[in-house]
Amino acid sequence: MSPPGEAAVGSEGPKILRKATPDTLSIGCIAQVIKDGQHRRAEILSIKETKSGRQFYCNFDNFNKRLDEWVPVARIDFEKDVEWPNPDKDKQKEEKKSKKTAAAISKKQQTSKKNQKRVSKREQSIASEDQTPHPWTEFVDSQQQPQQKSKKGDAAEDRAIASLEVGGTPGVGPDEMEIDEDDTPANVAKKDSLTPFSREQEIEKLRTSGSMTQNPAEISRIRNISQVEFGRYVLFPWYFSPYPEVFAQEDSIYICEFCLSYYADLKSFARHRQKCTLHHPPGNEIYRDDFVSFFEIDGRRQRTWCRNLCLLSKMFLDHKTLYYDVDPFLFYVMATRDDKGCHLIGYFSKEKESTDGYNVACILTLPQYQRKGYGRLLIQFSYELSKIEGKLGSPEKPLSDLGLLSYRQYWSEMIIDLLLKYGEREEPCTIEGIATHLAMTTQDVEHTLQALKMQVYHKGEHKIVIPEKLVSQREKSRAKQKRLIDPERIQWKPPVFTASSRTWAW
Amino acid sequence: MVGGGGETGPIAVGARGVPKSAKNGAGRVGRGNNRELFFCVCGARPGILLGAALGKWRMHTHTGRARLLSARPVGGFPGILPSSPPYAAMATRKVRYKKLNPKTVLPVFREDQIDPSEYESLTNEAQIATGVEQAEENEYHLQAVLQSAGVAADKEIPVPPPQESSLNYDEFYSQKVSKTATYIRFSQTVEECIGCMYDMTEEDVVFLKSYNQKQPASSKLSEDDFEKIMEVYEETAFIKTPFASIDQTVASYDEMLQGLQELNSANTMNHAKEIYEYWKSRRQALGNKPLHPTLKFETHAESDDMDPYVCFRRREVRQTRKTRARDVQSADKLKRLRKELDDGRQLVLAAHNRELLKYEMLKMDRQIFELRASLKEQKVRLNIKTDDEDLINQKPQKRKAPEAPAVQRPPPPAQLRMPGRPDARPTEHDLSQLADRLAEKENELRLDIEKKVQNHGEWNRNYVDLTRGPLSPVHGPRQDPNFRPAKTQYLMTPPASASSSVSLDEPVPMELDKPENPQPVVRFRGVAQDEESRANPPSYRRRIGRLNRLWIDRRGLVSPPRETSADMSDRWKYDQSSDDEDDMPVYEVDPFETRALKFRASIPPPLWLTNRAIPNPRAVMPPNQHQQPHPIPQPPIPPPQTQAQQAVARAPTQVKPTS
Repeated sequence: MSPPGEAAVGSEGPKILRKATPDTLSIGCIAQVIKDGQHRRAEILSIKETKSGRQFYCNFDNFNKRLDEWVPVARIDFEKDVEWPNPDKDKQKEEKKSKKTAAAISKKQQTSKKNQKRVSKREQSIASEDQTPHPWTEFVDSQQQPQQKSKKGDAAEDRAIASLEVGGTPGVGPDEMEIDEDDTPANVAKKDSLTPFSREQEIEKLRTSGSMTQNPAEISRIRNISQVEFGRYVLFPWYFSPYPEVFAQEDSIYICEFCLSYYADLKSFARHRQKCTLHHPPGNEIYRDDFVSFFEIDGRRQRTWCRNLCLLSKMFLDHKTLYYDVDPFLFYVMATRDDKGCHLIGYFSKEKESTDGYNVACILTLPQYQRKGYGRLLIQFSYELSKIEGKLGSPEKPLSDLGLLSYRQYWSEMIIDLLLKYGEREEPCTIEGIATHLAMTTQDVEHTLQALKMQVYHKGEHKIVIPEKLVSQREKSRAKQKRLIDPERIQWKPPVFTASSRTWAW
Repeated sequence: MVGGGGETGPIAVGARGVPKSAKNGAGRVGRGNNRELFFCVCGARPGILLGAALGKWRMHTHTGRARLLSARPVGGFPGILPSSPPYAAMATRKVRYKKLNPKTVLPVFREDQIDPSEYESLTNEAQIATGVEQAEENEYHLQAVLQSAGVAADKEIPVPPPQESSLNYDEFYSQKVSKTATYIRFSQTVEECIGCMYDMTEEDVVFLKSYNQKQPASSKLSEDDFEKIMEVYEETAFIKTPFASIDQTVASYDEMLQGLQELNSANTMNHAKEIYEYWKSRRQALGNKPLHPTLKFETHAESDDMDPYVCFRRREVRQTRKTRARDVQSADKLKRLRKELDDGRQLVLAAHNRELLKYEMLKMDRQIFELRASLKEQKVRLNIKTDDEDLINQKPQKRKAPEAPAVQRPPPPAQLRMPGRPDARPTEHDLSQLADRLAEKENELRLDIEKKVQNHGEWNRNYVDLTRGPLSPVHGPRQDPNFRPAKTQYLMTPPASASSSVSLDEPVPMELDKPENPQPVVRFRGVAQDEESRANPPSYRRRIGRLNRLWIDRRGLVSPPRETSADMSDRWKYDQSSDDEDDMPVYEVDPFETRALKFRASIPPPLWLTNRAIPNPRAVMPPNQHQQPHPIPQPPIPPPQTQAQQAVARAPTQVKPTS
């Protein structure tokens, strides 16, 4: 169960605004916290006592979770009002637990704490639809177990309150781009009954397809590992990772750079290092140049290693799930070589068989290697593999913010290079042609063209225009670019998995 | 335009992927090229278009729900304007877009090749699908970078920075490796690369130090051995007491022994017991959980689902077709292989044991020999002259050894019970002769068969065995499969028209497909009319002959009796194929046939006959009443009429044709 607390900063609904003291400030409150010298709204997700005093785990408004942090009392502005979680909620919960049906109006006021999705809460501008009372809403509600209480149902209801003085007046307000389904008024009432179903669907999806992403609401929102000793570096995790629970109490954990085994005890780690003979990712090298090597690792064969890798990468990937095992994945690991062995730089995982045509499931460059162009190599490598397979590939969604930027960067560079070639020869092109040439999906090509404002519609005709700005930028970046994957050096054949090998690992 | 009315509203979000969506008023209107057009109609106020979106939908892999990753108004939906700023700009656009097909040929221009103002006004400003989780799309830092895209590349999303470690890297990573010339190929697992899976903790170090202080210098326990012992305990506990942390069972020391013995080190065994006590106390202190922190795997408890710490659940095996024969076969093969390998292993182990025993025996023999040798020496020295019998292996001992198997040779079962015979008959009597054995066996066999026959008779008493003649009687000759019996039925005439249906003798409608109520079927049997043809109905075969001629062969047709018409019967009577003169054919002639009579009557009588008759007609034949049986010898006087009649009377006559 995710820890209690308001799902997101900026939750709507009538707020109780009141001053707070360090002692009264509680989980779920939204306070003004100083972050980088500025006041920011921040939701208190957890509270702990340290020797130096009480600390609060804050999630800042519209900041990525990786910037969440423990803040001392001094950084919280108690001069300003604090938004308190709606006190009605708990009462409502009680009522629900005892299966009493509450009045519809009061029910709408409640917010399900744990299940509320941040998605819907980030937006303050949302409004919602009418609240046509459905006689059976209460019934459905009363049937619900509190845990199963819909996230979205309540979210939508809250929004209704936010935008309308009195719930119950039919009204169509401007909706945000809320893509979570069910937001049509007719659906509002049904949400509760639908949600458990969709959760099952979600699990089913995880189970049957190889997806490695998961709804973040499911996962604990509080980072559990504070510090990781990894090779020559100390890493500060960004997100929760399901390492053994006791690790949460450690100041630092130790991870072997080669086998990725994890230790809370320094002596154990030292002993392990004496015994561990691994000095490269435990798979076949499929690419080598002067700079990096790529290894291909089968999640089924190297279960322990791949699990360890996933645990490690989960600390830096928010939307990765470790819900299911690593068997249906191949891991392509990029490493840099020196006299100690091959040091992990980053990796991407890939479903052995992707029903959605993804060529990447999760992709990560370890923080100590970020911003050095390695991500681009990983991305390029994934597309080189797709080229060998003769498929068009796309990364599995959702992308992280950093992932989006990396991919956009790669896509735009590749497309601009290609278009410049077309432009020089004054050759027309098609989106499909670009896609095939780059092993990208046509959607990705189209989106990139649009994002770069290169696709123009004029006089009933679509055109592609290459802005000068982008050309000069590309020239600059090419000058900076040192490393590229040399497709000639890839020694790889698409692995073939028979049904029985997938089922029985024969 | 979907829904018409021109009403603009918010981007309504349909619920693709949620089965009930259609009922709720959301539906898919059109589709093409990965973009789908959705419309939603408010259930409460039917008919009013809440919104329409033409945008990019994508099924979320992790939620199974549809998500609108971007809503990009494309031609025809100018009014769809969410309130967020990117869309506000589009409010002015009146251009109708033609849909862009990926196959459309697009001309490529540099920016300087087109009119800048045109470009400015026409670039598609719609928000593009980012693929980022909706909740994070608007995050401050991401938006900052996205908005500066193409403007400045220096904006970055801040992340917690990594640091250099304060640990001495070379201390922990001391091994150096040399670079391989070729690409590395490697398939060992982590476990295989580590060796001992137990790693000492600080606490263990403290314990071991104090423990070793108590030990004599010669038998200190090394860290490696300590870890090996602990590994055995942990592993055995994991196997023997998988639910240790729940039911608090502790694997006993005895259970550990096997694992310890496999370590094969005498030194460790000496310490094992004390280490066990330490291990046990450590386990107990941790709530009987493994000493190394472990991941939380699924326990199939209700709480699993929401526990973020539970990870790496087993995926349900993809439902493949049920038990493919091939898979089962392979599984069996593998099982057999495993068993055989195991047998082989057992064999090797047994052989190893045997050799060990032999070695022991040899050692013993040697000792005995040496003792005897020394005894002999002693005897010589002390001048004891006795039998040396005890110095050699006793003969009877040796004799017994070969005898034993003879006795143990499998005797007939009856004799097994009599180990020793009280009467001291020679052993030869005990030995059974081959002939006896064979006879006995045969006898047994016969008895068995007889018994079975008897049993069979017993079981079948009061039953009539219809299966003795397993073939049902064959009716008539076998049908040639190509010939099918022709069964003809009169089809009922269709009922008369409604107006005439009043009539009582209305024909019964066809009820061929109601066998339980068989209609009197009139059999049309073609030409055959007699009863016996029923058993052998006429049958027909159709075949296609040369030149595609269609043949209908028939069989079993009883041809009608031939019509014996007068002018047909003897049509060929006088045809003769052979020129054989000697064998003149003989023709039967009916002497009383009228035609023949006529013919003969027309023939004039021979002269001699007429001459004689004329002079004395009375003499030859008395008038009227005179009946003569043989008229020919007598010269006939009667008129030619009577003469002819007489000739006929002599019939049948053999007439020789004149050639």
